[in-house]
Amino acid sequence: MRDNMADEIIRVLYLDDEEANLFSFKAAFRREFEVHTCIEPHQAVRLMDEHEFHVVLSDQRMPRISGVEFFELVMPDHPDVSRVLVTGYADTDAVVDAINKGQVYRFVSKPWNEEELRTVIRSGYYLNRSRVQNAEQGAEVLAMLEKLAGQVEALDGQLAAGTPEAISRVQQELRNLREGVLQERERYAQWMDRLGK
Amino acid sequence: MRFGPPYGRVKVPLWAFLLMAVAALSGCGSGSGTAVDALVLEAVEDPSGTLRPEQVHLKQGGVERLEGARPNLGSTDAAYWVRVSGWQGAPRNARVVLDNPTLDSIDVFTLNGARVLGSVRSGAAYGNPEDLIPSFALPLNEAHELWFRVRSTKPLLLPFSLTQVDRVEATRRRRDLAVALYTGMVLAILIYNTFLAFTTGQRAYFSYLFVVLTVGLVQWCFNGYDRLIWGDFSWMAVNGLAVMGALSGLAALVFARHFLEVRRYTPRWNLMITLLLWVYAAALISAFLGMPSVAYNLVNLGALSAPAMLILSIVSWRKGNPSAPWYFVAWSIFLVAVTMQALRDFGVMSSTPMAAALLPIGTVLEMLLLSFALGNRINVLKRSSDEANAKALAASLENERIVKEQNAELETRVRERTEDLAKANSGLSNALHDLQGAQDQLIQTEKLASLGQMTAGIAHELNNPINYVQSNATSLRRDLEELIQVIEAHVAALSGLASDAPDGMELLAKAQDMARTLDLSFLIEESRQLIQGILDGADRTAHIVGGLRVFGRMDGDNLVAASLGELLEASITVLGDRARSKAKLNVDLEEGLPPLWCQSGKLSQVFMNIIVNAVQATESRWQDVEERKVEVGLSGVKDGAGKLQALKVFIRDNGTGMDEVTRQRIFDPFYTTKDVGKGTGLGLSIVKGILDDHGAQVRVESAVGEGTEFQLLFAIDAMKGGGTQDRNEAA
Repeated sequence: MRDNMADEIIRVLYLDDEEANLFSFKAAFRREFEVHTCIEPHQAVRLMDEHEFHVVLSDQRMPRISGVEFFELVMPDHPDVSRVLVTGYADTDAVVDAINKGQVYRFVSKPWNEEELRTVIRSGYYLNRSRVQNAEQGAEVLAMLEKLAGQVEALDGQLAAGTPEAISRVQQELRNLREGVLQERERYAQWMDRLGK
Repeated sequence: MRFGPPYGRVKVPLWAFLLMAVAALSGCGSGSGTAVDALVLEAVEDPSGTLRPEQVHLKQGGVERLEGARPNLGSTDAAYWVRVSGWQGAPRNARVVLDNPTLDSIDVFTLNGARVLGSVRSGAAYGNPEDLIPSFALPLNEAHELWFRVRSTKPLLLPFSLTQVDRVEATRRRRDLAVALYTGMVLAILIYNTFLAFTTGQRAYFSYLFVVLTVGLVQWCFNGYDRLIWGDFSWMAVNGLAVMGALSGLAALVFARHFLEVRRYTPRWNLMITLLLWVYAAALISAFLGMPSVAYNLVNLGALSAPAMLILSIVSWRKGNPSAPWYFVAWSIFLVAVTMQALRDFGVMSSTPMAAALLPIGTVLEMLLLSFALGNRINVLKRSSDEANAKALAASLENERIVKEQNAELETRVRERTEDLAKANSGLSNALHDLQGAQDQLIQTEKLASLGQMTAGIAHELNNPINYVQSNATSLRRDLEELIQVIEAHVAALSGLASDAPDGMELLAKAQDMARTLDLSFLIEESRQLIQGILDGADRTAHIVGGLRVFGRMDGDNLVAASLGELLEASITVLGDRARSKAKLNVDLEEGLPPLWCQSGKLSQVFMNIIVNAVQATESRWQDVEERKVEVGLSGVKDGAGKLQALKVFIRDNGTGMDEVTRQRIFDPFYTTKDVGKGTGLGLSIVKGILDDHGAQVRVESAVGEGTEFQLLFAIDAMKGGGTQDRNEAA
């Protein structure tokens, strides 16, 4: 579990069929974020496999493939990444597809407002982080439960001997176990509280 | 048809005239009224007609005393010699009159013993009009004998009398008058009925005319006046009576046949009439064959027809022939007259002047009655015709009424139908109106759709450059601030160094450190690129807007002189990535072509529509963008002399293509191959309308699996007329 969220550099990937846009984006956000730009969709797919991006932005209107189609394509492998669709002009069909098929997080129109886009990227990052952490927390709880289940099984084996010292040892172990479960419960409650915010 | 004279008005004067006529005709048959009994007549028969006067004188045997005023020896071939005596002592101016003008020959001999002292010849055969009343002077010597030799084919009626010369002449004059009167009446009847005959055209009238003519002539013959007609044509003088009699018989039979309508009422009698006709025909033939006596007797035999016709008329009457009573009466009068004549001739009846007038009066009455009967018959015909007419009129009125009713019904039905039709028509026109409204709306929708597409294209095209211009400007400002920081730091360090301030070197190190941290060279390069981006963006924006200006107003109907090349480029620009990014677009526009007078906005709508269709057709066929090929071309078409005639635009794709059925229908309104809701089906129909407005020829070639090519041919000066005044406005 990592608590260095605020310190981590936000990694952003921007896909557009126009070089000028890519350059503008990089110039605008290179100071805050780790900006990767890409003009070809297949290149973008490769980059995502190589690096862990927090936020992926894509232009909607591109030759060969639309932004929505691109998101649809990468979703199975990168479900947690925050997807932002950038478009010069959105008709209703594109918006509907973006939400239903591409499960787009945000929708930004060109010309973009730099501040707004920055906020979108940041919140996208938090969403990504929270998704990732949720997944990690879940895994930790599961591991703890498995550990507890193993300990209970071991105690059960010791009780089978039936000797008084064995009983007192098991009692001592149960106390330790109870202490551990309580600690775990406390931690889980804190996590739930944080989720509830 | 109107028949008939006004009989009612004519009747009274006719009857008055008739009464006068009876009185006048009394003189017709009369001889002299005196000394008849004084004459003694002794007749000697000469069967062979060969005796000579001398021989007669000697022949004392066979002498027959003739009695009565009108001795009748009957019809015979024999000649008779009559010795007339008893005239002795008569005054010198007395004459012996043999008042029978029908006798063929009369030879009068004055004999002294056996010696012929003188002879006079008279008779019908000799045709002397002076001898109409044969009269002979008395012998000078009272001792002489007076012999008459008479021979005739007609009955030897010998009314001898002794009359004074002046009385003879007076009788002659009276008789002339009577015959003239009679003739006048017959002629009047004849002329009057001739007129009627030709007016009515009735066969009965013509046979009636024949009857009147022949009966009249028979009366002439009886009185010897026929010789006035044939003069000394002796054959006719001899046979006239028979011929006329036969003819009158024929006429009477034919008339009866016509008048009594024998075939209709009494068809059986027709045969009898035919038989009688043959009798008369035989009489005529006999007369012509030189057998006058036979002819005369046949005519007498034919007289049987008189009672026969009388009976026929009764039968016809009883069979309901309305003309029959008239005929019966007329025929009865005629028969009575004839009978009385016969009785007189045979001495049964005394021969008074009244009796002599009976036959002509009878004939005249018969003629008149028959004339009336004919008139009546025509009136009857007219009545029945009137009745028939009235019936026909009633029938036609009924028909007319029915027709009127039917007409009224028809009119009602027509009106109903018309109303129905009018309703249907107004329904249809409403529907048409609605349809037109719907069509207008669809066209408007299509316009809006294409406007929407255009807007989307333009927005996307414009927003991209605007985006990086704006974004670059922001980034540039930030870079500039950092650059300024570096510059200021360096300026401070330089001024520190220059004034030999103690921290000069420190400031310089700090400034250099800042330049390194901010990556000065990168900043400079980035700033250059940002500026270049701004310039490019501005350029592209200007280019797009410039392209838009080429369209003119979207709805503008104004004609402008526009370059088709620019229009095509602008269309492709405006379509933007809807065209360029979806297919390989190969644009080949010939330079230096003259502008075309056109509605530029509408033409670019046409180009965009066709190009989008082409791109979509390639999209449907090819997965890979590289395979999708759309060619847009513009070239000039020159005639033989090298003069530019037209501009040809072609838009060719390697898409799915169309089959013949689809190709034929692509310009039909509402025809679409797209899914429901995807296209109105109006795009190409509007395109066709616009192209037709421009007088452009459109050729579409397509094959399934190969692609489609649109060829648009714009004649150079097709739109020139009337377009010039819009030039400034549109520009």
